[in-house]
Amino acid sequence: MTGQKKGSVSTALAAATCTLLGATPSAPVQADESPGWSFDTALLYYGESDDRVQDASLNVLAKRSFLDDKTLTLGLSVDALTGASPSGAIAQDFPQTFTRPSGNDVYTVPAGELPLDDTFRDTRVALSASWEQPFARLYRGSVGVTASDEYDYTHAGINARLSRDFNQRNTTLSFGVAFAQDDISPVGGTPAALSPMLDVSDLGNRRGDETKDVIDAVIGMTQVVSRNLLVQLNYSYSSASGYLTDPYKVLTLVDGVTGEAVPRAGTPGIDGPSHEFRFESRPDERTKHSLFGQAKYYRHGKVLDASYRYMTDDWEIDSHTLDLRYRIPWGDARFVEPHLRYYTQSEADFFRVSLTEGEPLPLYASSDYRLGDFDALTAGLKYGWMTSGGNEWNLRLEWYMQRGELDESQLIGNQPGMVEYPDLDAIIFQVGYRFGR
Amino acid sequence: MGVEPWDRDVLAKDEMQLTPDPVSAALDDHIYFSKEASSGGRGFGGGGCGCN
Repeated sequence: MTGQKKGSVSTALAAATCTLLGATPSAPVQADESPGWSFDTALLYYGESDDRVQDASLNVLAKRSFLDDKTLTLGLSVDALTGASPSGAIAQDFPQTFTRPSGNDVYTVPAGELPLDDTFRDTRVALSASWEQPFARLYRGSVGVTASDEYDYTHAGINARLSRDFNQRNTTLSFGVAFAQDDISPVGGTPAALSPMLDVSDLGNRRGDETKDVIDAVIGMTQVVSRNLLVQLNYSYSSASGYLTDPYKVLTLVDGVTGEAVPRAGTPGIDGPSHEFRFESRPDERTKHSLFGQAKYYRHGKVLDASYRYMTDDWEIDSHTLDLRYRIPWGDARFVEPHLRYYTQSEADFFRVSLTEGEPLPLYASSDYRLGDFDALTAGLKYGWMTSGGNEWNLRLEWYMQRGELDESQLIGNQPGMVEYPDLDAIIFQVGYRFGR
Repeated sequence: MGVEPWDRDVLAKDEMQLTPDPVSAALDDHIYFSKEASSGGRGFGGGGCGCN
């Protein structure tokens, strides 16, 4: 019994570390699992207020366990996305007309409203596969592939991980690398950086498809501290190069005195934008460094899961993420798990509210709110219960909010009071079923 | 630091694994990758998405 437990724990620990260093889909492996399939499934709804992004997502993670603690993990995720997303243009006291990304049509945003691009509609399919196994006495290794496809974006990636146990299997060191190549095929073509939004059917500023390469590396250590306490520390490096701009985001070109959008002289008889808007431009390199620490603490059946991440990058974005979960058993077969997450980030050095007429265009500029200065809070609850057959149902309901601030020194003319950070509120609801374990 | 093999019963529980619910963790990573400028840390950084 003792030997079995030792094997179970050390293998699970090593596998968990190894797994965590890779793409999240693969599950920790339990050594005492008998050969066979097990499934982890979930339906998720993510909905933002004000008719912004809505996502319905189906997820299946299938794991085949073999003798000798080898596992094959296959993941499938299908997302149906609809809704509207802030275009990057600022709200004005007058209506504004924009050309759609396709270049086929225009849409008008009423006075006083945040410009949202409502043509967003996509289906995304993502697949993953990984093989994991022990070798030598103290090592585990895995290799995996990932791929996803949506209308204007495809991704292909490979990853590999290696871990080794030390100190009577109380310490596990791990190393993982991943390489991804993504292809971006924006609707209507890729707009040239900082080029103006043009009339309907005028694709003169559009270019061909773009690519992006991403290299990730993670070094991690997992340590058993005591019978009830497990900690993990990871350092992650990520380097992206290629097209890192959002092809659908624009900035408003404003008058340097009033701060209002500059009217555009249109072409008679042809629909087009009412004001001057410029497509955003981001650097084609980005390097991120992250430190991640996690602790799991068990006491009287309850489990506290606390983690913290610090991230910094060469776009001058720094972020802090604190995540707390507390799993509380409820009777023999049920549990509740409150969840709290706090996130804060500083803005990218090229984040701007608008561009000013008459000033030289900067090399890089974006008003994408995701590169701005904001705080986010997630609060939620998960409830789960075991069936008599040993399977698990779970429900999760969470509320996510973002509250941001614009740098007042960037606001000119009558922008203060009119231009605000596009705060976000969203609901996350999930139904999960795990069986065959 | 560390424990003897016979003291590992608690650590072997599902709920004591570092990622006890990998599907939810992957979904969360995807949501936050889409809405924030940070990703990764726990594992490889998010990606594979032209998220709006």
